[in-house]
Amino acid sequence: MIDRHISQERLNYLWILAYAAALVFLLRLINLQVLMASHYREIADKNRTQIIAQVAPRGRIFTSDDIAVATNKPSFSLIYFPGQLKTNSETDALASGLARQLALPYEALRNTLFKSARMGTPMRLAENISSKNMLSLSELKSIYPGVDIIVEARRFYPFGAYLSHLIGYIGKMDPREWSQRGKDKNYSMDSRVGKTGLEKMYETELKGLDGGIYLEVDSRGRLSRRLESREWASGADIYLTINSKAQMAAEEGLAASATGKGAVVALDPRSGAVLALVSMPDYDPNIFVAYQEDRDQEKLKNLPEFNVALQGTYPPASPFKIITSAALLETGKVSVDETFNCPGYYDAGSRKFKCWEKKGHGKMDFLHGLAHSCDVYYYNAALRVGPLNIEKKARQFRLGLPTGISLPDEKSGNVFGPSQRAAKKSYWFIGDTLNLAIGQGETLVTPIQTALVIAAVANGGIFHRPYYVNKIVNREGVALYRGRVEELSRLNFKDSTWDLLRQGLRQVVDEGTGQAAKTSGIDVYGKTGTAQNPQGKDHAWFVAYAALPGQPAEVAVSVLVEHGEHGASAAAPIAKMVIEALFKNKLPSKAYMAPAPSVKLGTAVPAGLAPEAGKV
Amino acid sequence: MIFTPQAALKKSRMDWTLFISILLLLTIGTVAVISSVVVLPHQAKIVRTHFIALPLALIAFSAVWSLNYQVFQDQWKFVYGLTLMSLAAVLLFGVADKGARSWFHLPFFSVQPSEFARIGLILVLANYLDKRIVKIREFSVVLGAFLLALPVFFLLIKQPDFSAILITLPIILIMLFAAGANISHLAIIFGYSFISGLFPVLWTLINMNPELLGNPFVNYFFHLSDFSWNALFFLAGTGLAAYLLWVLSVQLYSKISGVFFAGAAMVISFGFLSGIMVQHQMKEYQQKRLEVFLSPESDPRGAGYNLLQARVAIGSGGILGRGIFSGTQSRLGFVPERHTDFILAVIGEEMGFWGTMLVAGLYVLLLRRIMLTAKLARDRFGYLVGCGIFGMFMVYFFINFGMLLGLIPVAGVPLPLLSYGGSNMVATLTAMGIMQSIYARRYALV
Repeated sequence: MIDRHISQERLNYLWILAYAAALVFLLRLINLQVLMASHYREIADKNRTQIIAQVAPRGRIFTSDDIAVATNKPSFSLIYFPGQLKTNSETDALASGLARQLALPYEALRNTLFKSARMGTPMRLAENISSKNMLSLSELKSIYPGVDIIVEARRFYPFGAYLSHLIGYIGKMDPREWSQRGKDKNYSMDSRVGKTGLEKMYETELKGLDGGIYLEVDSRGRLSRRLESREWASGADIYLTINSKAQMAAEEGLAASATGKGAVVALDPRSGAVLALVSMPDYDPNIFVAYQEDRDQEKLKNLPEFNVALQGTYPPASPFKIITSAALLETGKVSVDETFNCPGYYDAGSRKFKCWEKKGHGKMDFLHGLAHSCDVYYYNAALRVGPLNIEKKARQFRLGLPTGISLPDEKSGNVFGPSQRAAKKSYWFIGDTLNLAIGQGETLVTPIQTALVIAAVANGGIFHRPYYVNKIVNREGVALYRGRVEELSRLNFKDSTWDLLRQGLRQVVDEGTGQAAKTSGIDVYGKTGTAQNPQGKDHAWFVAYAALPGQPAEVAVSVLVEHGEHGASAAAPIAKMVIEALFKNKLPSKAYMAPAPSVKLGTAVPAGLAPEAGKV
Repeated sequence: MIFTPQAALKKSRMDWTLFISILLLLTIGTVAVISSVVVLPHQAKIVRTHFIALPLALIAFSAVWSLNYQVFQDQWKFVYGLTLMSLAAVLLFGVADKGARSWFHLPFFSVQPSEFARIGLILVLANYLDKRIVKIREFSVVLGAFLLALPVFFLLIKQPDFSAILITLPIILIMLFAAGANISHLAIIFGYSFISGLFPVLWTLINMNPELLGNPFVNYFFHLSDFSWNALFFLAGTGLAAYLLWVLSVQLYSKISGVFFAGAAMVISFGFLSGIMVQHQMKEYQQKRLEVFLSPESDPRGAGYNLLQARVAIGSGGILGRGIFSGTQSRLGFVPERHTDFILAVIGEEMGFWGTMLVAGLYVLLLRRIMLTAKLARDRFGYLVGCGIFGMFMVYFFINFGMLLGLIPVAGVPLPLLSYGGSNMVATLTAMGIMQSIYARRYALV
């Protein structure tokens, strides 16, 4: 067209504009469909798939004698996938069939079925079905399509509070844990995680891989089809060094003691393996498995999570005399045969220091002094040996240091002596020496520290880091971790020192204060103690180790009964029970430790679902 | 191929490139429509309507092609009358759907007259501009064009069909531009429309963020929308400010004409008044669309959800697509309006980058053929009609692609030749028929 009134130039501009816009669109399309494609594909897949998670069974926890102390219980639920039953009469028939089998009201079941069909969402018809019902229900499953039985693995602690301080418990994640774990696809909002103890420490190993039923849903969340099911993989099993019988005896014994509060620690002096670890009061971790916020809040608040065995600090009292004796024997400043007279008190000039035996012990040499725990003998000896030597020995026996057991918040206790006072720019008095000698005053120890001390006496001065996990084995049978013996330090004492100490401790049990721990056929070496407690009744101590005649010592025990008053009567019998359980397989009255048939999940039953109400 | 008049001489009366592009787009569109509706409960009705509209559209195409387009110029009064009557009739006899009275219900399908009204308006405007081409650089011609379009807009607002207005308004500007109107006149018109659009946008923005009202200036501005005495003060203030600026410019011996200041004040004032009108006329869903524009991803389940899901659909298609009938985003209903306004999302998801590239490429090709045909037209009227139809396609292309790719807000605009929608398809092919008619009667064949 040739027209002098109009120029075609402007249409060209418009064309250039359109062309430029097309180029912009092209770049945007490349960005969306080529560069970011996988990102958007992921969002699209997330949009359309809904996963009914099958929580994998957590790894089980076994004692060294293969008793499962933490396992899983299958919990069966009946789930209904709508869209496969067409007619009302079929639905009615299913409802009546289920009502008969489950002994549930027909109307309620029918309503749920119709609701499920109307909303197009899979729904849970019944929970916690007994295994007897399950068999007949699996027939129903083949008659009526759409019904499926699913199993959810629920944590189960067969022996309740048994070993609870070591095992810990599981619970829902708090926001902080969720922010840490949320990135891991194996965790969902309602996943349970270990909150304390082993459950927390080995969460990664115990967790396993969750399975799931993948559903395709439309934009309104209605089921469009089932995509696939993924099998779960159960977590790795943990094998402990704990001896179930020793643990049992310790728990029973402590529970039966005067106050039922305290701690028992039993170690293998040869390796540092923990054979029993009890702290009371304890709790039943089962209550948290089906934890409901409104219902169990109170229980959680008052949970006795305090682990007396490594967090409770007490004056060591008479067991400290082992250390004083070691100082005495090593320095040689007091000869073994030298006697001191015990009139029932020691006159330190300004003040009289009493012996626990008010009548007095009379003339005491080393062995008798130790056997009868004569305070006056130790007062005299300590003044000769000197407080600095005793403090040095206390440090060599690793008082004031945490044992390094891999449990959280272990306390280190306290050592006091002249050098510590000097560091604090304070004075040392003669009375301090006397208090130091008999383990009173400012010295504070945890039960596990005293267990280490007595173990060192048993094994000739070797300190091992206490450990309680023997191995962790995954489901293929491969050991992921093995507990190993770790030497912390070693005492280089004269042989005669050890011999005399052992001789003295033997006499404590044979004829002295610890006779309650005597048992036939086993050599028991021990030391009682009564820790003065200004706030209430005294705490009872007993530390001991035991060996078959002529054999190396196999167990070292430390017992603390809070407010148990006398070590001889309150604590020593518990140690005896532990020793007898180990050596003679003798269990206390209630033998509830029959190994429960531990249920293996994940192989026999293919599917399980996470427990969430109504809509799954 | 060099498109010269000499080469054109040997060519047929049929623009095969254009025709094949149209057929290709219709085929892709049909596949995508079927794929996206196949899971819907009322899919049979949609597919049936689509297949009724297809032959009707092709018949319309052939009929208009064989008709000399110059008849529309001769009979422009009839075209104009028919346009206005159909729009008036739909207000009286039409049925309401989604809050807009824009449909005639017929036994087998519904007709949306606003789709045809757009073509009618292009023809009438082309005639108007053709007649006044000598005076095109006068503002009266620009105003006259808008006065001619005013009844159409009035009837569209009455429905209300905002997306039709959104498409039609730029077409008028494009036609005026192509006809050679003064750029400053167009700037006035554009400024006016921009301001009348800007005010409601700002008010909506404040409405969405009430904490802004703490600022007294913002608070004052927000209450302008009430059209109280404040608004009159604002108008007076604008006039005064313009006058003072003019005085200042005179004092400074500047050569800026006083008309400029008066014009600017007028544009702002009238833009403001129209803005208030738009604000009070806006329906709730339109308000919602505006809000989405202002913060598209604030609430993934709420207003911005559709945009996001459409983008996810396109992106998840990747290079090769997920396969026809296999797009999860569209089939499972995550993409709304999938067979109409969001058809590109379906194509992007199921046919991938190659699919969207093909569609965009065909659109560019189509635009190019329209442009070349317009240039070949035997008379000015044909050229102007070609510019109008070019503008129409360009606006559709910009808005729909821009919306689907997340560059501009949701506007509810279909993609001609691809989207489901009988009226749109017939109207579009009528327009294409006009282009073919212009091509067939190009000057080189006289």
